[in-house]
Amino acid sequence: MSEELRVSPIETRGKAGTRRYAMVVDTRRCIGCMACQVACKAEYDTPLGVNRTWVPYKVVGKYPTVKKQFLPRLCNHCDDPPCVRNCPVEATYKVEEGGFVLQRYERCIGCRSCMAACPYNARFMLPANRTYTNITNVVDKCTFCFHRVTQNLVPACVQTCIGRARVFGDINDPTSEVSYLVARNATQVLRPEEGTKPHVFYIGADRNQTEFGRDAYRQREVMELDRTAFKNHFNI
Amino acid sequence: MGDYVWFHDVSWHASYAIYFFVIGILAGLSFLSYGSWITPALRPLREKAAYGSMILLAIGGLLLIADLSQPQRFFNVLNPMYLNFTSPLAWGALNIVAFGVCSVLYILELRKAPDSARGKLLALITALLALGLPIYTGYDLTVHQSRPVWNTPVMPVLFVALAIASGSAVGSLLSGGNEGAQRVLREYMLWSTAGVGVILISILGTTNYGGSAQELTFMILTTGTIGTIFVGFGMLAGTAAPVAMLFLAHLRQQTSGLVVAALLILVGSAALRYALLMGPQQLQTLY
Repeated sequence: MSEELRVSPIETRGKAGTRRYAMVVDTRRCIGCMACQVACKAEYDTPLGVNRTWVPYKVVGKYPTVKKQFLPRLCNHCDDPPCVRNCPVEATYKVEEGGFVLQRYERCIGCRSCMAACPYNARFMLPANRTYTNITNVVDKCTFCFHRVTQNLVPACVQTCIGRARVFGDINDPTSEVSYLVARNATQVLRPEEGTKPHVFYIGADRNQTEFGRDAYRQREVMELDRTAFKNHFNI
Repeated sequence: MGDYVWFHDVSWHASYAIYFFVIGILAGLSFLSYGSWITPALRPLREKAAYGSMILLAIGGLLLIADLSQPQRFFNVLNPMYLNFTSPLAWGALNIVAFGVCSVLYILELRKAPDSARGKLLALITALLALGLPIYTGYDLTVHQSRPVWNTPVMPVLFVALAIASGSAVGSLLSGGNEGAQRVLREYMLWSTAGVGVILISILGTTNYGGSAQELTFMILTTGTIGTIFVGFGMLAGTAAPVAMLFLAHLRQQTSGLVVAALLILVGSAALRYALLMGPQQLQTLY
């Protein structure tokens, strides 16, 4: 990104001498095995009913040319994150070196303002009771596996992806694989109109999933039945 | 069919709408208490409005704190090392605390010397701080750029108009048979509720002509359960009906029927706050 396109001092993409991590998700390679979701759950012991990453799918096309279209989702680690702006106590913050958007659990008051601000539903409230940790009743999210990346490992979801659909790296480094993929392929980001400058890039994402579908209204009754079953299942 | 959708929960639940409702009434009552220093007809309301406002502040404050998932950390918002001034919530917390302190000082002054110059000054400061409360709650919604309806600049103005309308309605109920006070409150209720109606129409208009998210939110706000609450209770029963009643009373210079109009305004302002909070969150839960 050129200097002229950087509108906020918090943005670090294209800033000389600074790393800016990004993820490229090649949806053409995603087979919907959900291994990334499982790896993430295992890495963080994420409770039932909430996810740091999830893989929704839609069946698109008309018979006989139908296919399942996957769209792996996670925090977009925006260059200009609205959640950081909205947190009243700076419990959520952006790390300049790497561009990680992280959460200070001990400071979070649980006002859910960051959840309301996030256009990607990437944030969730941890339940009151957890077995292996006392981090409860605060907002949580994907960290781009900060603890792994700072030890020169890739995020757990990237490590486990069987089809190499997820690629992670420094987009400020022109020789990195993510820079190459973004430069050589047509990529999409989710909801670019919000000006958040997300750093999860998709190759081959289907518009049925990246945009608000009109069927969201037409299928509301069906959706409501599903939603009720979903809530009952997870006791939300 | 066969799609796998991960349903997300709404961020803010109904308790937040009750908080908006309570905070709006207490701000309106503060305006009335200050108004009593300017308009003699409102003099009987001065103490009642000040005490009512204080009681509602206690209720609203408890609601706000109880709504946090970490209520014991509420004081983090007042910690200067933590405060993030880009968040309207931080400004709101400071505003509430300042309003509370001024309200206590004002009430103490009212008990000591009900008509002193210092009392008038404290009433003015309290009313100005009270004005900040609906403004900050409006900004609380406005700053969320990805939410249709919330992300409109008129939201703080709407909340101020709702505060004047619902505060005046409670003032009207408190005034009972006081003809002079009811005449003044009839005008306050009429024009503030009419203002609410104009703002709602402009919000609905711009939402309906927006992008797909706006259009879908418009549909959610105008149909089904949310539609019944927003259009039925909020716009028709809670805005259009009391405006018509109050306008007729204004033309005939009557004060009868104001209790019904006040109750309708209160029902409407509660319904509007609920629908405006919950409706625009629905679409996002499917994304």
